[in-house]
Amino acid sequence: MGPPQAPGRAGALGSVEYTWAAVAGVVAVVLLEVLWLRTGIFRTATFWIAYGIVVFFQVLVDGWLTKLSSPIVIYNEDKFTGWRAPFDVPVEDYLFGFALVTLTILVWVRLGRPARDRRPPTGAGSSRTGTGPSPRR
Amino acid sequence: MDLDRFQYLILMALCLVVTLPLEILLGARVWAQPRRLLTAIAIPVAVFVVWDVIAIARDHWTYGPRYVTGWDLGNLPVEELAFFVVIPICGLLTYESVRRILTEWDDVWARLRRLVGLGR
Repeated sequence: MGPPQAPGRAGALGSVEYTWAAVAGVVAVVLLEVLWLRTGIFRTATFWIAYGIVVFFQVLVDGWLTKLSSPIVIYNEDKFTGWRAPFDVPVEDYLFGFALVTLTILVWVRLGRPARDRRPPTGAGSSRTGTGPSPRR
Repeated sequence: MDLDRFQYLILMALCLVVTLPLEILLGARVWAQPRRLLTAIAIPVAVFVVWDVIAIARDHWTYGPRYVTGWDLGNLPVEELAFFVVIPICGLLTYESVRRILTEWDDVWARLRRLVGLGR
């Protein structure tokens, strides 16, 4: 532990490892979707509305975790940009959070039923009216 | 009894409590699909535990000793493991709730009415 070292401003861009890791995390998740999983969630209102709600609650939870008055998680000021908003939340945390939550949703959606089968799961015994060309029941 | 050391864990528990109504009231059906949930959680947990272990080793961040239990798995506080399980679950509950409200609203509405004892 111990206080973060204040003087080490040298090598500014190269030393902000958390910043680069967080950017890389977002890029990796986006590439995973675009190149491989192709769930299409980035083109849905559902994802972006849900993500907006997630960010709102992230500010509360992360704000509590990172508040400088009595921090639960203590960030090394030399390893990120030092930009914090709102409260004392490091801006990198929003990238970290996006990578974490989006990766989860991507896997979840991918594991779910294919997009063709839009039938709600609670259908009251109604027949499975196939919209696709598949002859299988 | 020193509750402060459980602060991080309590915060994680609160996240689960606060999002539970999405499952019960809106019928998000995230907890109701345990196999799918477990698989969907396993991948981010694995990836982010590795990220966290490296970040801690490279001194990106540490933990306020007053607010964590001190129960560590290697250099990883159990609180962090809890975080990587809880936050994705909260995200999924949010996503499924929004999806249901946008695409299965009649179903959600019928469920809410049933829950308060109106209609079938």
